[in-house]
Amino acid sequence: MSSETSRLEKVYIRGKEAEAGVYRAQDEVTLLRASLEGDAEAWGEIIARYKDAVFGLCLGFLRNRADAEDLTHDAFVRAYVNLRRYRLDKRFSTWLFTIASNLCRNRLRYRRYHPVISPPDQMEGGGDPGRAVAKEERIGKIRQTLDRLPHNYRAPLVLRYYNDLSYKEIAEVLFLQEGTVKTRIHRAKLMLKEELEKDGVTQHESG
Amino acid sequence: MRVDDLDGTIREALHYEVAAESYCLEGLEDRIATEVAGQLPRRGLFDRLRGLLAPTRGARVGQLAIIGATAAIFLLIGLFVADRTSLFGPGGGTPRVAAAGADQVLFVMPAPGAHSVAVVGSFNDWEPTQLADKNDDGIWRVQLSLPPGRYEYAFVVDGRWWGQDPLADEYVRSFGEYNSVRYVGQVGGGA
Repeated sequence: MSSETSRLEKVYIRGKEAEAGVYRAQDEVTLLRASLEGDAEAWGEIIARYKDAVFGLCLGFLRNRADAEDLTHDAFVRAYVNLRRYRLDKRFSTWLFTIASNLCRNRLRYRRYHPVISPPDQMEGGGDPGRAVAKEERIGKIRQTLDRLPHNYRAPLVLRYYNDLSYKEIAEVLFLQEGTVKTRIHRAKLMLKEELEKDGVTQHESG
Repeated sequence: MRVDDLDGTIREALHYEVAAESYCLEGLEDRIATEVAGQLPRRGLFDRLRGLLAPTRGARVGQLAIIGATAAIFLLIGLFVADRTSLFGPGGGTPRVAAAGADQVLFVMPAPGAHSVAVVGSFNDWEPTQLADKNDDGIWRVQLSLPPGRYEYAFVVDGRWWGQDPLADEYVRSFGEYNSVRYVGQVGGGA
């Protein structure tokens, strides 16, 4: 439990560091240039910086760890192979997320035409009955509801609240109009709110 | 509770599950670095074109602009003449792929005897868009208006995946199947 909490804290700190601009643009461009020359280690450094973000996106889209792991790998390989298509006028992360989200949508499409008989993996910690804390309950409930949300509503939500993208960037990544992104995020939140209220979970405000 | 009060909890829930599952990313950078070592990123058509222009050492931007403008004028004249002589016009016998601007994309699938033909792709979120065989010649068609971009797609003929469209710009393979790719309104675009 405590190690899990500290891991969660680490993820938060990493997010904060990213916000503070620790990943200086110049450094990133140098790494990308080196990668273009075939420097696999430079590409490894790019992966180390973005793997959590890409994995979070894939996990949020697909709700399945094994698939998310697979596609995180595929996204970085595909981004490397197509690195010459990346243009500096866009943020690298946005370009990378576009590749990852295309792969995710392909996988969701594949699932639709090749349905599995067994249910998707239950992710660790999902709806653990042992935790009676109200906040944990809210989080657990949100995660269960996310599982049920249609993917075209879930995807913008994940890009907004996990990857911290602007509406404009989400629109770019998902090939949608900015207005559609806003509407979908709002509707997704309404669905979540409804689910939480149905179970009376919102009575317990997190402290 | 207001909807916006949920923001923090959603953020927390998403970060929480990544923290719980991200152990599987251990060493991912090393695995991929080993996988791509000795392999260079692919050169695209755009780069090859740029490569042709780049060796003109000493050429000023203005000179390049003049070369570009001249080429564009010749191209326009060429297209105008071609249109007047109806080389590519409706009388030419071949269907026009882009009939009303670059964003009108025609999807054609020969499938005589099929009951249903649909196209699924990144442009319709892999939701089927039906093709129609209006004149009963076994050639199914639909024309879609697409903004510029790269699109992966495939046909679904009576429920069967058909990933290699002869009109595609390229093919990609995912999950053991082919998907077709078209570039709309871009360099290298054939759509």
